[in-house]
Amino acid sequence: MNNVLHFLLLFCLQRFNGERSLSAVFHLLSGKKSAQTLQDSKWFRLERVFGICKDVSMYEIEQAARELLKQRWIAPHGERSYILTDAGRRELEQQLPSAHFLQHMNGFLYHSTETLFWYRLSLVVQTISNLVHQRSFEPIHRHEATFIWVKRYLLSQKRPIAELAKALYEELYALCSSLSEEKATIVTLRLTSFERIGWTNEQLAVFFQTDPLYVQFMFHDALHYIMERAEREATSFPILHELVKDLVSPLSLTKSAHKTYEWLRKGKTIEEVARIRGLKRSTIEDHVVEIAANVPEFSIEPLIDAETIEKVVAATKRLGTKQLKKIREAVGEHVSYFEIRLVLAKEGENSAS
Amino acid sequence: MHLEQLLEKTFGYRSFRLGQKEIVEDVIKGRDVLAMLPTGGGKSLCYQLPGYVLRGSVLIVSPLVSLMEDQVQQLRTRGEKRVIALNSFLANDVRQAALADLRRFRFIYASPEILQSPKWFAALKKAGVSLFVVDEAHCISQWGHDFRPDFLKLGDIRKKLGTPPCLALTATAPPEVIDDIVATLGLTNVRRHIYPVDRPNIAIKVECVMSVEEKIERLIHYVKTLQGPGVIYVSSRQWAEVLARKLQAEGIDKTAYYHGGMDAEQRMLVQQQFLRDQLQLVCCTNAFGMGVNKGNIRYVIHFHMPGQMEAYVQEIGRAGRDGKNSIAILLYTHGDEDMVQSLIETELPTKEQIQLFIEHMAFSHTAESSAAQLLPSMLGLSETQWRMLSYIFEKERSSLRGLEHMQANMLQMIEERREWKRNKLNEMRAWLFRSLCRREQIVSYFHQRLSEKPVACCDVCGLTLENYRKQLQSDDEAAWTFHSWREELKRMFFKAGKLDEKAD
Repeated sequence: MNNVLHFLLLFCLQRFNGERSLSAVFHLLSGKKSAQTLQDSKWFRLERVFGICKDVSMYEIEQAARELLKQRWIAPHGERSYILTDAGRRELEQQLPSAHFLQHMNGFLYHSTETLFWYRLSLVVQTISNLVHQRSFEPIHRHEATFIWVKRYLLSQKRPIAELAKALYEELYALCSSLSEEKATIVTLRLTSFERIGWTNEQLAVFFQTDPLYVQFMFHDALHYIMERAEREATSFPILHELVKDLVSPLSLTKSAHKTYEWLRKGKTIEEVARIRGLKRSTIEDHVVEIAANVPEFSIEPLIDAETIEKVVAATKRLGTKQLKKIREAVGEHVSYFEIRLVLAKEGENSAS
Repeated sequence: MHLEQLLEKTFGYRSFRLGQKEIVEDVIKGRDVLAMLPTGGGKSLCYQLPGYVLRGSVLIVSPLVSLMEDQVQQLRTRGEKRVIALNSFLANDVRQAALADLRRFRFIYASPEILQSPKWFAALKKAGVSLFVVDEAHCISQWGHDFRPDFLKLGDIRKKLGTPPCLALTATAPPEVIDDIVATLGLTNVRRHIYPVDRPNIAIKVECVMSVEEKIERLIHYVKTLQGPGVIYVSSRQWAEVLARKLQAEGIDKTAYYHGGMDAEQRMLVQQQFLRDQLQLVCCTNAFGMGVNKGNIRYVIHFHMPGQMEAYVQEIGRAGRDGKNSIAILLYTHGDEDMVQSLIETELPTKEQIQLFIEHMAFSHTAESSAAQLLPSMLGLSETQWRMLSYIFEKERSSLRGLEHMQANMLQMIEERREWKRNKLNEMRAWLFRSLCRREQIVSYFHQRLSEKPVACCDVCGLTLENYRKQLQSDDEAAWTFHSWREELKRMFFKAGKLDEKAD
């Protein structure tokens, strides 16, 4: 893979299919927690890349787009959006198999907790490694909340340090063994031990003769994998499960949408919530759409009749678009934009295929 | 107990370094003290030791979060548990407990911003501050090289805390800046402890070359021949990366770059690697250095000149903190000052930015409103520019003389700032080209006198590089030797002899 960002942009543009601008790609990759971006990631099945490139700038995205244009892999499509050319599609097909970092990556689920998890894991490993080898050390990061967490965790352990070390070793060994050699190496070398301060992405990139961004993605992919298994398999990975269990929240809603959700669950209507919270109806509608996209058990049936749902789903499939305007033209003026958005949010995955 | 005994008991040192004892004595007596100690002179001990004598907490105001964290870490490593850094990232339960009772902390570190918070302020007032320490106090002065408007409010905060005795610390401040510090903090009957800025164990060399290419060649030569560890200062993030890669390509490994654009974890890794001698060389912007407590830095090379003498002295002062012979080399080529000049220009807001800023502020009325949070990026203002404009705005708005007047005043103040920076740069330039002893020039810049010249002084007095040549390689090979990840994991968690017990 020559340039990871180019690949990623190509990947997103293919999914967006000309229906979103470059700024949507930017918000998606940088992980903007707005209702629109969260929905986009659902509708266009881009959840896994949500927030995986937090430091990327709009400028870098624009530059990457210029490069893709120059290669004739994308072509302008309307205002500030692009679609893939045939050559672009072929390029993407060709590169996809080597995009190993898309294997377990789940930005949508983990983008807000991966850092905390890594802080915990790296500090636990550093502490145990130094204790085992009887060395004093300086913590590898300066995250106060993590210090306290790790201290409490280690103090709560009844077993001798050598046993704890062995148990953690076995958990990490098992998980790394089911990763590729490259990913297992990246995770291991990023860790700080009694004898080595962890390597930076840049240093790992030199070691692997690759791009630092590629290393970063591989690292996140491996981290998401570890988090997922640790979360699910408490009995196989008791230590790692302890590290992850309070971090993974099932709902990733914006704060304000979360409040709205709580009112709706108490049985309030959209109008009522708007009045209670002193917000515009349209704002509450945005929240409802966000909730529909993110909360599986949230049913949209009370808000919209089954027939309309079916009509919208059918039109979406027939037209092969997610542009609200085109869908509304097809289903008729009596269906509101809000209703269409609601259906798309809820049916995101189903209607996309 | 005698101070010396206390020193040995709490810090494990046998004796004080230059100036420390006198400063500590005055602080314990409850005097207002201004202390200027050279970089690496052990400033933090001047308030940490009194912390074990005085009743009540010592409050330390510091400009940089990272600097605070480093010092908190150092105290904790020494075994001091009663220390806290107030910041907005504290975990909820820790914050609640601290707010309820700050008194149980011997040392409280805080940024000037957090002192603006009524809650924290009330907690501090309740706790009773026995000593009010201002670290890097030159940030107070508009004419200090990293002016921080928030520092100006410290005089007021101190008064509201009941005017506890104050200790203002700085490493590099010319007399006019010192006067500014005394006035702003409202220090009365102040004891001034000004110690020589000169660091006799650092030799100084300036080398003029014909082109940037030649400069790179010289740099490679020095890095290959001088005894490390070393630091290379450049003027931009891009240069830091370019040079680090160039040196690596030359076969100089154990080299990394460091700048403010990297994420916090990567920065920390580089800093720690350097501290542990896992790295021999760091190419960096001026973001690197503060809080890096490394004794054995043997050379500092300036690939680009800094914009003023204060910065230069502070940066070369990172070398030789262990007291051993070290060298500072500045590489100059024609036109370097233009680059610094254009950096100065980009640091200052443009006329259009000022105009837009005022228009927006006129509507939102206060710099703290939520809409204003987006303003810096909307107007393309850097953090420094934003701070500067907000400061002037707050100061000017009380005059109530209309927007046009304010704009004219702002422009004038920015213009003055530009002029002042130009002068600073000219002084730096003059230092480069004057054929006088470099050390004497530095010392007289700070209105001091040189008591004694070291044998290895500077290129003007005559200097041989023989003593700085590479001899032993102290670096850490283990850190760069990679086995397989399986082997690595084992080494991490098991003691060497016990490896065999664990068979998979």
